[in-house]
Amino acid sequence: MKFAAQRLNRIHHGAGFAALHAALAICRERRIVWLPLVDAPERRDYSAEGYSRIKAICAAKMNAKLLHDLKELLGPDAVLHRPEELMLYEYDGSVETARPDCVVFPRTTADVEGIVRLAQQHKAPLVGRGAGTGLSGGAIARHGGIVTSFARMNRILEIDAENQIARVQPGVVNSDLSAAVAHLGLHFAPDPSSQKACTIGGNVSENSGGPHTLAYGVTTNHVLALEVVLPTGELLHLGNSALDSPGYDLTGLFVGSEGTFGLVTEITVKLTRLPEAVKTLLAIFDTIDDATETVAEITARGITPAACEMLDGWTIRAVEDYVHAGFPLDCAAILLIDVDGLREVTEVEAAEVEDVCRVHRAREVRVARDARERDLLWKGRKNAFGAAGRVSPSYYTQDGVIPRTKLPATLRRIGEISRKYNLQIGNVFHAGDGNLHPIILFDERNQQQFRDTVAAADEIIAFCVQAGGSITGEHGVGMEKDRLMPLIFSEADLSLMQSVRGIFNPEGLLNPGKIFPDSKGCGEIYARPRREGAAPSARQS
Amino acid sequence: MTLVASSTATRLADISGSLNVIHDPEQLAAYEIDRMLPAAAVKPGSRDEISEVVKFCAAEKLAVVPCGARSNLSMGAPLARYDVALDLTRLDHILAYDPGDLTLSVEPGIPLQRLAGVLAGHRQFLPLAVPFLNRATVGGTIAAGVHSPLRQAYGTARDFLLGLEFITGQGAHAKSGGLVVKNVAGYDLHKLMIGAMGTLGVITKLNFRTFPALSATRVFTASFTSAENALSLRQRAVQSPLRLLTMDILSPGAVEVLAGQVAARFEAGPAPVDRLPPGKWAFHATFPTAGTATARYERELKHMAEESGCDWCEICGDDRNPASFGRLREFVPIVLESSPATVVVKMSVRPSKLGGILASVADVAQKNDVRWAAAVGGLGVSYFSLLPSARDEQARLSVEKICEKVLADCARLSGNATIPWCPSEWKSSMKIWGPERADFEQMRKLKNVFDPVGILAPGRFAGGI
Amino acid sequence: MSSTSSEAHTDGGNAGRQTAPSAAQSKRSGFSGADKPEYADYSRCVHCGLCLNHCPTYRLWHEEADSPRGRIRQIALVDEGKLALAESFVEHIDRCLDCRACETVCPSGVEYGKLVEFARAQIETNYRRPIASRVIRDLVYRQLLPFPRRISIAARALRLYQRSGLAPLARRTGILRLLGLRERERLLPKIDSDFFFNELGRLYPAHTARRARVAFFAGCVALVTFSELNRATIRVLQANGCEVVVPESQRCCGALAAHAGVRDVARELARANIAAFTDGHFDAIVTNAAGCGSTLKEYAHFFPADDPNHARAQKFAATVRDVSEFLDDLGLVAPMRPVPLRVTYQDSCHLAHGQKVREAPRTLIRAVPGVELVEMPLADQCCGSAGVYNVTQTKASLELLALKMDSVRQTKAQAIVTANPGCILQLRAGSAIHGTGQEVLHVVELLDRALAPQGW
Repeated sequence: MKFAAQRLNRIHHGAGFAALHAALAICRERRIVWLPLVDAPERRDYSAEGYSRIKAICAAKMNAKLLHDLKELLGPDAVLHRPEELMLYEYDGSVETARPDCVVFPRTTADVEGIVRLAQQHKAPLVGRGAGTGLSGGAIARHGGIVTSFARMNRILEIDAENQIARVQPGVVNSDLSAAVAHLGLHFAPDPSSQKACTIGGNVSENSGGPHTLAYGVTTNHVLALEVVLPTGELLHLGNSALDSPGYDLTGLFVGSEGTFGLVTEITVKLTRLPEAVKTLLAIFDTIDDATETVAEITARGITPAACEMLDGWTIRAVEDYVHAGFPLDCAAILLIDVDGLREVTEVEAAEVEDVCRVHRAREVRVARDARERDLLWKGRKNAFGAAGRVSPSYYTQDGVIPRTKLPATLRRIGEISRKYNLQIGNVFHAGDGNLHPIILFDERNQQQFRDTVAAADEIIAFCVQAGGSITGEHGVGMEKDRLMPLIFSEADLSLMQSVRGIFNPEGLLNPGKIFPDSKGCGEIYARPRREGAAPSARQS
Repeated sequence: MTLVASSTATRLADISGSLNVIHDPEQLAAYEIDRMLPAAAVKPGSRDEISEVVKFCAAEKLAVVPCGARSNLSMGAPLARYDVALDLTRLDHILAYDPGDLTLSVEPGIPLQRLAGVLAGHRQFLPLAVPFLNRATVGGTIAAGVHSPLRQAYGTARDFLLGLEFITGQGAHAKSGGLVVKNVAGYDLHKLMIGAMGTLGVITKLNFRTFPALSATRVFTASFTSAENALSLRQRAVQSPLRLLTMDILSPGAVEVLAGQVAARFEAGPAPVDRLPPGKWAFHATFPTAGTATARYERELKHMAEESGCDWCEICGDDRNPASFGRLREFVPIVLESSPATVVVKMSVRPSKLGGILASVADVAQKNDVRWAAAVGGLGVSYFSLLPSARDEQARLSVEKICEKVLADCARLSGNATIPWCPSEWKSSMKIWGPERADFEQMRKLKNVFDPVGILAPGRFAGGI
Repeated sequence: MSSTSSEAHTDGGNAGRQTAPSAAQSKRSGFSGADKPEYADYSRCVHCGLCLNHCPTYRLWHEEADSPRGRIRQIALVDEGKLALAESFVEHIDRCLDCRACETVCPSGVEYGKLVEFARAQIETNYRRPIASRVIRDLVYRQLLPFPRRISIAARALRLYQRSGLAPLARRTGILRLLGLRERERLLPKIDSDFFFNELGRLYPAHTARRARVAFFAGCVALVTFSELNRATIRVLQANGCEVVVPESQRCCGALAAHAGVRDVARELARANIAAFTDGHFDAIVTNAAGCGSTLKEYAHFFPADDPNHARAQKFAATVRDVSEFLDDLGLVAPMRPVPLRVTYQDSCHLAHGQKVREAPRTLIRAVPGVELVEMPLADQCCGSAGVYNVTQTKASLELLALKMDSVRQTKAQAIVTANPGCILQLRAGSAIHGTGQEVLHVVELLDRALAPQGW
């Protein structure tokens, strides 16, 4: 082991992609972690520049002067810097960790401009953070620096009910906005599972989705305009509350850029009318294939449900044990389907969906009669991840996308992978849009199992890509999947994207070490147990 | 033919074969843009050929304009240079279509109508009911950023374009997005390409989400003495639970144009717009039919129209609405043919401000004695077309005055305004892309990343890009 | 192992030999003894952050350290020996209201209340608070609350202060402000003229055919400050066909001690109460205090699984019912007259989050003819009362109260109905401080009003 570590160190002083490649070979040889495809030999060393830049950034110490200036700017209550405070900003909702050097709490756009100016002056990395519920490490200061928490920038600035528009600060909690406009018959449509806690600024950064994005679209479909502060200190207004702003769609480019272009300080969103009626159906199947064929036929019949979720047999049993919703323990899959819209239309569509389920041998179809029953049916889905947490010390939620027609094959493959590594894998899908969330159970105290979990997760993602899908549907790339980007993008694609980042974030001060595999190469590769902040992924610090 | 042109043509012929290179000036006339002719036109047959062409042009600093059916080439600012027309019509294949997954991958040169035929076979469609539908290609439609009346229900290409492959200004292959409906890996570069008019790259592949085909639809039309009343129906409809497929408000001029002979040439057959009383504002909406919901749509639309003070309203069934919908879709081509010097201003304001802007444009058009027609989308995006009776200096001055006022009004109401269509010789004196915006600077930087040599349709885009 | 960092575990060779908490092996846990947060409990937290926006203190300050996720992390860090059990830790654990709103939203089922109580027990044994704080805590939790007679004596003294004219005098002279007690004094309960001591040991027959036999849990401070509420509760139970017994040897439930980390006292009280209520053959043990109820239902937490008291506590807990929960299950049979009142309901944390009872009180309120129930936004957010929180963390408590009164104001309600004496005190203070003018009632007081003959 000592030998491997020394080699790793040597190699990393050499830097660059070639070094990374060699490091990966060692990792594989020592079974430290399995990194698929990244180490293809023909890859050019496009990371050298990024490496030296980040190295320089790493070197920037949080000096006393910067802290002093930040306190001067924001007031002492708005700057955290003691270790015991910083320890609590090491994590987000993901399995990644890294400690920032300080945390600041702006309240206004001017505060953010001031913070950026100081970061620029001191060449300190800058990372935006909403509620820290993200699942790919987007809000984690991978290379230290200043975490800018938008939690106190949480005012709804304008609600224009007539035009169905709201203007908010980035720290407004997703469901708080919906609650604030519910009396107007409106809501903010993107509904990530964390909607009760996550912020709209975070949704914008990650282009968040959710169960109901099948019919309503993801965050980017609901953002009209942004006010952003670039790391150069420049304040920009992108898009407009009126549609079709002239020029390139910079708003569309910024949404989902994972905080690598600028800090968003104001967001103008579309509000969507609440449907007049919602019908929820829950169908129970004896085979996975019946369930997936049902999904296909619902589509074929021209119905676009508002949501179409699937739980596999194992997950159902885990959930049933906890919520006691009366799911049969011997079934293979359940589908949870929402249709919404005009009352008359939902009646017809619900009847049709029920018919499709029965044609495809659903053992039972339950239709909720009122809001209370609807909540009950959804309860199983909403508690799926928690239920996994109850039966296992740790679990790793993956996020992959496949063409909907490949669902049965993908499930079979996940079954094989589960057997290969002897790991329990539960499956929860947004079946309607082919977005899967395999839940891999593991015990973080068992290092081998932990490494197997990473390997299994990577194999699942590799299969998704092979099936024509993508490495992430809604969690983002962040620091979790940067190394998987070469699975779907060529070097040229990535280098073009990095050049685009360079326009807004020329020095790489903003959220360094995210999205692109160039962030590798700043130290040693190791796998850590989760309690330590560990990642079921290779990490360097 | 100049020496340069001839050597260009030779090199292009090396890449794509001489049969696919046009350098005869007579044939090149078809590639005219704003009275400029290229030295050559090339029809590459593959992505690699496109890449070669672009690399060659980059090396020689030759300005390239990618094009498809060329129906939207008159849009945008005048080109700074124009050397090579890059005709993509040979790349017209469906690369992948998985009806069960509702996803589609196509080459840019495929005509929308042919594509629609294939999708219809699986009872699906793409909600790209855009102008020039009878000839437009998919690539051209996306690059031009034109939208469809179905935007009300389905959004724009931004909402259903899943990914793109393209060739950058240096001839490199690049892609963004994917072929799945949900995907957050990498930056959404493909969103930049929508409406970029070929200034960032040459599109080689487009991935779309498809939609289940619409069942039968019906058209509701209502007539109003004032724009305010028509707009109040819009507001009521938006706040009702009804989910309309299209919703437009037509000025008296627009009603006249859409019921006229030019319109009939585009979409023959009886159309509900023919029956609208002349000289009045109209509200035109399409809604889906589905069991008992149909009656409810009819009842509530009529009721809301009456509440909004309509003079007259009517619901038409399947037999008539294709023509009506078609004419609405072709509003721009129709107005372009309805005057010798049509100018179309695209205005966008928050819907509540439509009343103000419409009153103002009506007033200024009338004062300057220019005939006008406005089609106002339910989401606040309007096509305000000026139809002067002659293409002369006097007309130009009047139109310019009107446009200035409209652009200023839109800016005052924090809206957007551009002039996508305008006679070539008038372009230089018009603010084609509206007033300079602060973010144009970022766009110029973007352009520089995608096309550092500046050979892709130079000068055509916003901010002088 | 070559790694210098304690965090870097790399070698595949020793896989599986790591045990949890792995890194902590090199450092000593900051916890000791039996009453400590367990790895199995805190490791359930997957730091998803869903709790954040439901935590009243996070909503006030928006800092991780004052969020459930952050507090659990701090607990883990102390256990791993990476964070000292010192001022910072104590401060953030002290600031927790223990309202358990986070438990309601937690998808992983983390028993946060249990964790924070154990953390407080650790603070109690392993951390030396300032002398004044130690004296007061000792006085209240060890010397006063467990002893009904001492409560009675203290109450008489306080009553004398309140009635003698000393109170207004103290307010006027500014001596309270000088002592830093001005705000706290406003939150103090008003002492009853007629204590609830005589009722202990009595039996109250059902007013109709007997439908149930219940034991009434009367509380400790409530004996001297909420005697009327207790009597109203008994009347409502009687009117709805319950025979009510008030066991004489009952003691304080121990909630305040447990929340403060004084677990030995709490455990002793639990034993006494289990004994006091055991042999009565009751259909239910009924309490009108949500805070007491949730502790009574969790008595088993005080005893390790192998302690015989554990099973006894479980059996005891199974019969404990909040009065709302009990009456809703039983069904109201007493005729009621209209009470024309627009009311809003404030979920008591330990009823909604601690006992997961949300609908029952609302159903009962709606059952009263003439009452219009208007929901306020964030009805299940803590009002800031939180046991003794309003005394120990007065500033935060008052800020939360201000937010609460703002929500109340939006409903234009004439009365606030709630389910816990502590909440009633806090909301009464809120109504006075913010001049919103609402009357504050317990659910059973509203029912009692509907039962009472005209002019009573």
